This record gives sequence, structure tokens and C-alpha cells, in this order.
Amino acid sequence: MSAAEAFVTLATTDPYCMGATVVASSLRRHGTTRSIVVMVTTNISEEWRHTLEEVFDEVIVVDEMDSEDHLRLSWLGRPELGITFTKIHCWTLTQYSKCVFLDADTLVLCNVDELFDRDELSAAPDPGWPDCFNSGVFVFRPSLQTHDRLLDHALQHGSFDGGDQGLLNSFFSSWSVEDIHKHLPFIYNLSATSVYSYLPAFHQFGHNAKIVHFLGPAKPWSSGTSHSHTMEGFVSLWWKEYLSQTSSLPVTQPSQDEEKTQIQNQEADMQLRENLDSTNSLLANVSLQPAAEPQTSSHAGNTEEKVGVQDSPMGAEGEDDADTDLQHQAVDREHQQRWEAGQAEYLGRDSFQNIQRMLDRFLD
Amino acid sequence: MPLARSLSVTSLSGMEDWDEEFDLEDAVLFEIAWEVANKVGGIYTVIQTKARLTAEEWGENYFLVGPYVESNVRTQVELIEPTNPVLKRTIDKMNSSGCKIYFGRWLIEGSPYVILIDVAYTAWSLDTWKSELWENCGIGVPWFDREANDSVLFGFLTVWLLGEYIAQSAEPPHIVAHFHEWLAGLGLVLCRQRQLSVATVFTTHATLLGRYLCAGNVDFYNRISEFNLDKEAGDRQIYHRYCIERAAAHCAHVFTTVSQITAIEAEYLLKRKPDFVTPNGLNVKKFSAVHEFQNLHAQSKNRIQEFVRGHFYGHLDFNLDKCLFLFIAGRYEFSNKGADVFLEALARLNYLLRVNHSDVTVIAFFIMPARTNNFNVETLKGQAVRKQLWDTAQTVKERFGKKLYESLLVGQLPDVSKMLDKEDFTIMKRAIFATQRQCQPPICTHNMLEDSSDPILNCVRRIGLFNSSADRVKIIFHPEFLSSTSPLLPMDYEEFVRGCHLGVFPSYYEPWGYTPAECTVMGIPSVSTNLSGFGCFMEEHIADPSAYGIYILDRRYRGVDESCNQLTSFLFQFCKQSRRQRIIQRNRTERLSDLLDWRYLGRYYISARHMALAKAYPDTFMYEPHDPTSTTGFRYPRPASVPPSPSLSRHSSPHHSEAEDNDEEDERYDEDLEAEKDRMNIRQPYSLPFKNKLPSVHGANGYTDGVTSDKN
Repeated sequence: MSAAEAFVTLATTDPYCMGATVVASSLRRHGTTRSIVVMVTTNISEEWRHTLEEVFDEVIVVDEMDSEDHLRLSWLGRPELGITFTKIHCWTLTQYSKCVFLDADTLVLCNVDELFDRDELSAAPDPGWPDCFNSGVFVFRPSLQTHDRLLDHALQHGSFDGGDQGLLNSFFSSWSVEDIHKHLPFIYNLSATSVYSYLPAFHQFGHNAKIVHFLGPAKPWSSGTSHSHTMEGFVSLWWKEYLSQTSSLPVTQPSQDEEKTQIQNQEADMQLRENLDSTNSLLANVSLQPAAEPQTSSHAGNTEEKVGVQDSPMGAEGEDDADTDLQHQAVDREHQQRWEAGQAEYLGRDSFQNIQRMLDRFLD
Repeated sequence: MPLARSLSVTSLSGMEDWDEEFDLEDAVLFEIAWEVANKVGGIYTVIQTKARLTAEEWGENYFLVGPYVESNVRTQVELIEPTNPVLKRTIDKMNSSGCKIYFGRWLIEGSPYVILIDVAYTAWSLDTWKSELWENCGIGVPWFDREANDSVLFGFLTVWLLGEYIAQSAEPPHIVAHFHEWLAGLGLVLCRQRQLSVATVFTTHATLLGRYLCAGNVDFYNRISEFNLDKEAGDRQIYHRYCIERAAAHCAHVFTTVSQITAIEAEYLLKRKPDFVTPNGLNVKKFSAVHEFQNLHAQSKNRIQEFVRGHFYGHLDFNLDKCLFLFIAGRYEFSNKGADVFLEALARLNYLLRVNHSDVTVIAFFIMPARTNNFNVETLKGQAVRKQLWDTAQTVKERFGKKLYESLLVGQLPDVSKMLDKEDFTIMKRAIFATQRQCQPPICTHNMLEDSSDPILNCVRRIGLFNSSADRVKIIFHPEFLSSTSPLLPMDYEEFVRGCHLGVFPSYYEPWGYTPAECTVMGIPSVSTNLSGFGCFMEEHIADPSAYGIYILDRRYRGVDESCNQLTSFLFQFCKQSRRQRIIQRNRTERLSDLLDWRYLGRYYISARHMALAKAYPDTFMYEPHDPTSTTGFRYPRPASVPPSPSLSRHSSPHHSEAEDNDEEDERYDEDLEAEKDRMNIRQPYSLPFKNKLPSVHGANGYTDGVTSDKN
């Protein structure tokens, strides 16, 4: 039975692949019995597809389907959302009888297999307009027929917000009134925005959260300073999940990134860890999920140990030519990521002198 | 906004006979800035006012490039089909490759063409482009800095546009791409990185780091050579922006800043000495009547006086005709704008005026927007009381007039003692009672949100200038921009400036400074500093600036205390001038307008572009650098004319200083004589040296043949 049901996620860009791996590993950590499937678009790099194959049961390549509805998307100010139309491809996964869709920017905090008891289309309300459901987490039954009807609907009526959520909400328009069993509790799709829009409720119920959804343009993988205080706790959980899962997969690209820096740059690593620690204490202040806490922290300990252990093998591997090249790339990517997190080493390797040297290569 | 000025004789001889020798027939100019048709800050004013002149020069080959912002486009752009076939192909090609680019006319003076790029539309490319930037230049951009992300998108899109334009051209075109500020700077870096055949100019209107450092009270100008730039930028979280700015300055063919002082700043903070200083101008509109501006001054002054009557009701123990209005205006940066120095100098001036038993009263206005919750009641009441007194006077006058009329009708001369009866006196007494006031006239016109921590108010508390009747210097802090719809002071900024006597801008950090320039064009004297671009420019061009109502404070080589003293003496001198002298001084100030007109200042930009063309296309264009002797070491002697200083004020007899109104021509203000003095005192703005395409290019068959034959 469990083989016929699956969690489905979707990655349309490389950063979203990072998110997808976290979805998979957090599901696994909490012992799901279902398959875990990722749909990727054709633009995803080969490396990432390999990485994804490591963590997912199935990687399905789909064509990017853009809604071409730029006018309406501009209302939302989020033109990149058009790609999420690709989402409705999930109805073609007829090898499964029932699926739960999770956006790649979600983080699963405990076992949520009970979602498969629900029927199509079950979803949690959207914090912005609770009469609409949020399409970040929903239960559905794959069916080519439904898929075609969805496509028809899209062609005829478009989507009122230009993204998949608008389409799905107008297609499943009776969701808000019909059957309360199709209303998932909000803790299955706790969005970042609700933390500041209704903080007392978050303090009261936040620790029950089962799935966190990092809505909005600020994603955890674009880590930095502008997450809200409380959200920072979830972001650090996300990072722990990401780091843990990558270090258990030593062959893949991102893992090397992480480890390489940790080895290369002890000082910066200290900073990062301090950061995690401080967010941890913040998390404690919100009294978030006391049961899950020891688990995650012990896990973080594991990560650090593993890094320590792998220190020497990495060094040995470095002798291989192809590997050095690969590692070099990884280091480079990691280096860029530090800039993107606002942590350029302006007193060291990123000094303007070095930048000027790069510029002078193309100036005569 | 064209500022009106009178049709006074142009004082700057030789300015008109300046002709363009540079052959630009086949060259195209792209001027690229984030503030094209998009008002964010001061750069908008620069580009918007300069556009007319540049459009005149380049005609159909001038394109401004900016971001597409729908609300702006709706109000100030007329979208049209591209007129230039090459550009049309370029835009079509890009739009079919997933960009959204608009073309239109910007509805401002000169109506230049604009190319507007919708950066949000291509936001999906951000990650790819960031990686490309990273690989090529080693600069990363944090995801959370929205402005910097926009600059990446804008940079890549502009370079795409330029590249595509070259690709679509049948023959390789000559392109000048002029980039303003760091937000557009990436496009320049990428032009060079992709080896596009484009002549690039980069103009900074200030440096990022300079603004931050100055605001941080670090004794900026004395330590300017000592800063560890990378560290300062990094510590302030602007490292990536600083890198973009510095990379653009480094890569540009020609690098310019807006003033001498910013040139020094750029030399130290961006490590490149600017090739040109390109000062900012204004579009000066001429009045049809001579010295019309003096009339406008009188009109506006009356309206300010009305406001003052209301504001100081119950305490009007000073002579409004002997009252001078000073003002400071601008962004609320307490020390960068020099409000600290101004307040201190006012305190000292107050002391000086008191010990000298001066009958002059100075009212200093601070127009600096801060956080408030609306007008304060006392100030509004003041205006209401004034209105009430006016109404009372009108009522009594009516009654008086009626009695007079009736008395005349019956053929009797009125009995003066019976003209005002008891009732009239009651009305008037009641009105006078209403004007009684226990408290001092307020300093601030609004209720401040951060009253107790406000720097201006705290400083006023410290120096004790509370508008008491003994004080000769009164202060009014108006923490909101002026508006003609305000119930308090219903004037717009321009009217207000015209009505004042002196603008005081003792800024510590002011790359250019439009405020004193606007004063000058309106014929209002001003105080600026040798740390402001305007001050530097005037110091360089006028031999005796203070005779022309341009007081330049030395804040560069003097301590704060000394600067305060100097400002105090400027103000004291100004207060001692007679009305006649002030009128003459205003006339002289106004004569400087031409110096600030884009028609003259625009030539610095022209030279910068020519130099860039010559550097990028050495085979086709030639640029002879300007004779260096004429730009440096300039100092004309002090004029032989009578300076408007009190020691020599024998001309101002009571007949002149009191009774006369200020718009009449005076025999002692002789236009020809003044023009003669101007020729001695004012240096002509930089004149273009002769330069041209190389002779070989001028083949009879036109330009391309010339080039090929040249290359063969």
C-alpha cells in the first residue's frame, strides 16, 4: 500500500534543489513509509540531478510550463512564480494512487504520514486569504483526467494570481465551504508570515507545528539576516537538516562545499556555528517543540563529529586530479555563497586588490 | 524645474561664441542611470535638467536608459515605436528573448528618447547572472540587498542592450555609454569585460563610503588618506556595493565627479583621480522684465512677514522692516548639513547683536523634514489670532468708512473724536485681549515625535535661544517640506527662498549642493562651505565671492569653533548691511545665474564624452587635453569696485534705505559698470579646446570610407 503512495516535491532551479533535498531528508528522518518523489525541470544541472537521485526514490524530469501570464504575475510582484505552474504535472504521476505534495521550501518536523488518510483536495488555508488554500502542502489523487481538466481550466480561465495557487483554488473552488475534512490544520503548513501577523497564536500553538513553509522571497538557503527572530529558529533547523544530509552523502557536490569550507576556514566556521547556537537559544525561548529539540541538537553534534572524521579522507582524496578540479569548483561555489550571505572576506581573499586583478585581465 | 531669472545682461562675455567642433554624426550616446524617469534622489534632477542640452547636441542619437516603473511611465513618458531602425531591431530581438523593454519619449524639456527596462521581468536570470559576475569579476552580491540585486539585473540588461545594438548595426557604430552612480555601474564593468566596442564614462555624484564615513563623525577630510577602505566598507555592510562602485570607476574610459571636493574624495576612496569635474547645472529661465526677481523677493517677503506676525503674536516687539530672514533647508542630517554650526553661530550672532544694541532682528528658519504628528496647536493658533485681528481691523474700518461717508453726504467734515464709538473700542479691546500670550513663541511649528532626542531642539535648548523678547535672533523649526497648501506657511519652496534674505548651508558633506545654486539663480545670497561642491566651484570661478553674495565658509582647514566664528562674522556683516546694499548684492548674486546654467556647465560633460570617444576609438577620434594652466592657479584680484560693506556705506542715505522700494534702478548700480566688473571677477567656464576627428577621416566619400582607407 505504501508503495502506491508518495510524497511529491518539485525543483525548478538549483537553489530549490537544496530545498528539495531537505524535504526528502526531513521526511526520512521522521520515518515515513511512503515513497519520496521529486519532479525537476530540464534546466536543472546534471550534478544536481545526481544529488537528488541519492535522496529521492524517484526523480522525474518534466517540461517547464510557464503560465505566460506575465501581466497578472506582475500584480503579485513575483514573476518567478510562473514556473510553479509546472506543479500541476504532479497529477500525471498515476503510478501512485494518492500523493501529498510538499513545496521545496518546506521543512517537515515530524512524521506526517497521517496526511494520506485525507482525500483530494486537502490543504491548509492560506494566511493571506484564509478562504483560499495554500498550495504549498496538499493531498491529491494523480489522474490524467484531472490533469487535462486542470490544463483546460488554465487555458480558459488562466489563474487569478498567475501562479499555481490561483489556478488550483479556482479549480477546487468549493474547498472553502464543502468538507471540513479537507481543511488541513494550519500546523501542516505553518507559513513564515503568520509568525509576525499573529505572534501570540504562534507562541501558543507553534510548538505543535508539523510542516514549516518558508513562504515569500526570503528562503532559508539564501541565509542571511532578514529572517524574523522566531523564524530564525526554523531557518537554523533547516540548515542543520541540510548539512546533516549532505555530510551523509560524501560524494555529492554540495556536501563537499560545506565540508571544504569547514576545513578550509575554521574561523568562519566558528562564526557559523555561533550563529546556529544563538538561533538555537532563540528557539528555546519560543519553547518550540521541546520533544524534537534534543533530537536535532544531538544530530547537529553528529554532523560536527562527522566533519572532524572526514577531515583526513578529504585531504587524501585531493590528490586525485579530477577530484581536485571538482573540489575547486565546490570551493568556488561555496566562496560565492559566502558573498551572497553578506559574509565576504573583505580583509582577506576578497579584498578589492584581488578583484582589481580580475578586472585588469580584461582591461588593456 | 526651470528657475526664473531676469533678463539681465549676460555678464559672461565670450560664453555665447562657443561652437561644437566635434563631429558626432554617426556616434550614438546612451546615458544610463537608475534615476532616468524614476525619481529616487538628487540624480534625477541632474539628469532631468541636463537632458535638454544633451538632446540638442545629439538629436536623434541620444537615448536615456533607465528602469521601467509603471507609475512613472504613466505620468512622465509617452511610449512610442523606436524611431531608429537599428534600435528597433535591438529591442524587438531582446523582447523576443525574454526581456521587457519599452521605448518612449520622456516628457520633460528637450523630450529625449528613453529606453526603459523592466528588470523584475527578467528576475529569473538573477542567479545565472550573479554567477557570471562572480566568475568574471569576483564580486558576489548578497541575496538580501534588493537594490544591489536590481543593479545586477539592470547592469546585465544594459550591457545586453549595448551588445545587441552593436550586433544589429550594419557597420560598427561609435557608441558612448555614460553611466551614473554605482547602481548603473555594473553595466560599465560588463561592457569592458565583454570587450564591447563602446566608449564608457562613469560619473559618481558622491561616493558610497564617503557618505557613510561623514555621517559617522570620523573627521573625514583630515583622515581621508588613512582609511582602510575594504575594512570600512565591509564593517558597514556595503562591501559589495563599494566593490561595484570602485570597479566601475576603475574600468571606465573616463571617470568624472560633480565637484572638486568629490574629486578628492574619489581619489582617496575609489583610488582613481577623476579625469573631469562635471558640475551640476540648472535650467535657467529668463524673465522678460529686468530685475523682476527683486519684485518677487518683495512679494514673497511680505508673505513670510505675515506668517511671522502670526507666529510671534503677543511678542511683536521688533520691527519687521528691520527683520532678516535666514534659512537652512535640506535632508535632516544634523551634522552633515551643518545645522550644528549654524545654530552655534546663531547663538554667537545673538550675543553680538545684543551687545552692539542692533535694531536688526534675525529670524532663522530650519526647513528639515523630521518625524512629526502634525502642526502644533500654538502655531496654528498664532495664525488664527493674526487672521482675527485682521478681520477686526476690517470690521472697524467698514464702520468707520460708513460714518465718514454719511458725514460727507450731509456736507459736514467728520468730527474725528466721534468716528470711533464705544462699540468699536470694545471690539478692538476684545481682540487685543485675545492676543495676550503667557508663553514664548514656539520654536517648532510641529509636534515632534522624538522631541526629547531631536538634535536641533536639543541644541536650541543648550544654547538657550527660546525666542524671548531680549533675543535678537529667533528660531523657527519647520520639520516638514514647504507646500503651498499648508495652513501655516502656504508657500512652496521656491517662493519661500525668494522671500528670504540669506540661505545658510554650512554643510560638512555636500558633493554638489543644489540648494545654494537655486538661491543664486533666484538672486538670494547664500553661505556655503569649501567642503561643498558648489562652494568649491564658486571659489574657483569668482575672485571675491562675498561681494557677489556667495559666502564661502572654510570648514576644510579650520576647526569647528573657528568655522563657527567665521560664520558668525559673515552673518554679522550681513546684518550690518543697509537695505540698499542688500539690493545691490542681490543684483550681483543674480548675475551669477549664467554661470550655473547647463548651457555652460554642460560643456564639461561634452568634454568628458569626447575624451572617452578618443580613448575608445583612437583611430577615429582625437582629443587634445585642455591647456592645464587655465584650470589651475586662477585668482583674479579683488575688484576695484565698491564692495557692499558697511564701512563704505556712505551712499545709503536715509532717503534710500528707508523710503524707497527695492525694484528701482539706482544710478549707483550701473549695468555696464557691473558687467565690466564681472569680466574681471568671474572666470569663464571652461571653454572647449579645438578637437576633431583625425583629418584622414574626412574623406569626400564619408566617414566609413575614411576609416577603411585609414586602416588600409
